[in-house]
Amino acid sequence: MTLYHSVTPHSTAAEPVIAVSDLTRRFGAREALSSVDLVIPRGGVYGLVGANGAGKTTLIRHILGLLRAEKGSVHVFGRDPVADPVGVLSRIGYLSEENDLPAWMRVDELMRYSRAFYPGWDDAYAGELRTMFALDHGAKIKTLSKGQKARAGLVIALAYRPELLVLDEPSSGLDPIVRRDILGAVLRTIADEGRTVLFSSHLLEEVEQVADHVTMIRQGKVVVSAPLKEVKDAHGGASLDEIFVERIGGG
Amino acid sequence: MRTPAAAIAWELRQRHRWGLIAVLATILILGAIKIAVLTTQAHPELNDTTFALLVPVPLAATFLYLLAVFTFGISGDLAARESMYPPRMLTLPVSAATLAGWPMLYGCGSMTLLWFAMRIACSFPPGFEVPKYWPALFASSLLAWTQALTWMPYPFRGMRIVVSIGLLLSIDIVVFTALESKARESTMLLLLAPFVPLAYVAAVSAVGRARRGDVPDWGAAQRFAPAFSRSAALRDFRSAARAQLWFEWRQFGRSLPLLVAIVLPVGLSLLFLFRETPVIVVEIVVTSLLVPPFMAIFVAATAGKSSSNASESYGITPFLATRPVEDHALVVAKWQAALLSTFAAWVIVIVAIPVALMWSDATEPILNIARNVDGVLGRPRAIILGLLILVALAGSTWKQLVQGLYIAMSGRDWAVKGIAFATLASVTIGFLALGWILDSRQRTAVALSAIPWLMAALVALKLLLAMRVMQRGAERGLFTRTQLIFGAIAWDVCVFAVYVVLTVILPPILFRRYLLLLVAILVVPFVRLAAAPLAVARNRHR
Repeated sequence: MTLYHSVTPHSTAAEPVIAVSDLTRRFGAREALSSVDLVIPRGGVYGLVGANGAGKTTLIRHILGLLRAEKGSVHVFGRDPVADPVGVLSRIGYLSEENDLPAWMRVDELMRYSRAFYPGWDDAYAGELRTMFALDHGAKIKTLSKGQKARAGLVIALAYRPELLVLDEPSSGLDPIVRRDILGAVLRTIADEGRTVLFSSHLLEEVEQVADHVTMIRQGKVVVSAPLKEVKDAHGGASLDEIFVERIGGG
Repeated sequence: MRTPAAAIAWELRQRHRWGLIAVLATILILGAIKIAVLTTQAHPELNDTTFALLVPVPLAATFLYLLAVFTFGISGDLAARESMYPPRMLTLPVSAATLAGWPMLYGCGSMTLLWFAMRIACSFPPGFEVPKYWPALFASSLLAWTQALTWMPYPFRGMRIVVSIGLLLSIDIVVFTALESKARESTMLLLLAPFVPLAYVAAVSAVGRARRGDVPDWGAAQRFAPAFSRSAALRDFRSAARAQLWFEWRQFGRSLPLLVAIVLPVGLSLLFLFRETPVIVVEIVVTSLLVPPFMAIFVAATAGKSSSNASESYGITPFLATRPVEDHALVVAKWQAALLSTFAAWVIVIVAIPVALMWSDATEPILNIARNVDGVLGRPRAIILGLLILVALAGSTWKQLVQGLYIAMSGRDWAVKGIAFATLASVTIGFLALGWILDSRQRTAVALSAIPWLMAALVALKLLLAMRVMQRGAERGLFTRTQLIFGAIAWDVCVFAVYVVLTVILPPILFRRYLLLLVAILVVPFVRLAAAPLAVARNRHR
């Protein structure tokens, strides 16, 4: 089953999708991000891993423009996501860790509401995803299980074929079968078609399964950022779990 | 902290420590004023009557604050169907009686302490017999029932407000009727005694239902509302702006017309009882006209939220923050939804009042007033006056809904709470200043002559703030040059329209033209509206 059709990308292939430079963010006395540099070129699946509180969600929120860079800069598709939210967010699909879809909406209302914001919304594809995820179109969001809510969020994040898909802990609430089959297929397909996926996860097995590139964050600092194969080769073919414990496990 | 009671007390104290310190400070200040001003007679012109004007305001403010603290309702959505009891506490391994009982006990204890402290600290007019105990029980009864009603789940949105107003007013009526009959202290205590135990039973039941996730579903009311709005949702939206307007309408826009539709028939039904008493008929009609702006105050508390979840704070949700729209588009959608809401509420009022008057055969007192106004002002002016009153009331309704958005949409809970207390503080200071001025003819004369200068200063301040807000908005790319020019022209047109209407209505002998212009400039909102997109930008991109 083809999940994505080819579309003309808005930005040139040479331009990085995400360019984060010297990004520092403090919350009170705590430094959540410390001089983070990250460049994500077009195409591929980028796994962002780190312990709880390492700064993964803070980095993602900067990329989405939900946090303003106190020091350093963030550019997505060459634009500042805070200064140009429409230009950036219209090209990003985002699945929030918080799963904060409006509880009062029905699934069909959610899809029609979301459709209005994205000119590239594909009704047929949205319907296909909804059927694949077994979502009742008349069901209210608040009556859905956690897994179903994540699926509903995934439908509206994918249905307009975004150039960049940002998934913050996408596996939360999904059972292992759905996680393996759906997430793996979706991520791989997007990457195959020249789109980019950035996802944060603490399920390292999952990251190892789908990511081409891995970025490890520890206490707000990027400690590893390289293609997955290189990372594994550098550690004598160890699993990502073992590398994680070695590089980050110390806290 | 080894008991649930101690843990609940600690949380209440820790979370609201600054507010509780402020309450304590208020009482101490009132006590200090009483000692310094009244006992020493340092300022004899500040007599007891004037000072008594100050008592109800701080008393009401502290009472309302404690009400918000002990109901856990400070940042909740009063109109929501779901219980406002904090969900995290529902999972504690204690009974519903414990969860309901301890906050109620602490609340009632605080209300009792508040009354005795105020009784000592505040000064009352000479000859006024200050009651001893029953006001403490009265305040506790109101608190206990507010807690029960706040924690109760309801079949449809907005019902909590209606039920609370009805029930709390009933308690008030019982008390005031007894006072009118010169009831003794013991009678008052006896009369009030059942309220707290009954509220406790209701609160335990409410918390139990909240724990089970038991939200009643009244089929007919539920089915009608979604069917109406679903038909709109199932059509494709023509634009993102339309979709956002629908979102806001569904989120908070329906609350005001719904509340008005529930409250108005109750009030207007009194026309059947009092149709023979012209004064009461007029009072009922006037009160009915005030229902939308009054109800708008309650709805406004939820208008600035990005989630309808009762326990969510004012922060913008990631779902809404990641919609690909400009910051100001989120505000414009709220303004438009408020406009629709105002329109729907006033359609109900405009239809319901004449129908009720005719049905109850109580039209004569209102027609008499119309004839008198017609005779004094002439037909055109009378019609303009009538329309002006309607437009002013509708405008006030809309203004109530949107004027606080610049605070609520900033996402800062402390700002939302702080502005309420700042307003109460301003009212208190205003009362004090007014009493002080009216106590002396000389001061009154000086104040009257200073009014134009004061208004001019306020106009200058408003224009300066407007310029600053527009400048900041332009710097942050929130407003384009065209939007700024269009906004300024629209505001000028509104000011000019208000000015023209005022000059037509008000006689030039009594009111100078320049004063009317100053009034028009001050009345038409600008700064608070223009500041809302700035607040959203701060909240959305922290």
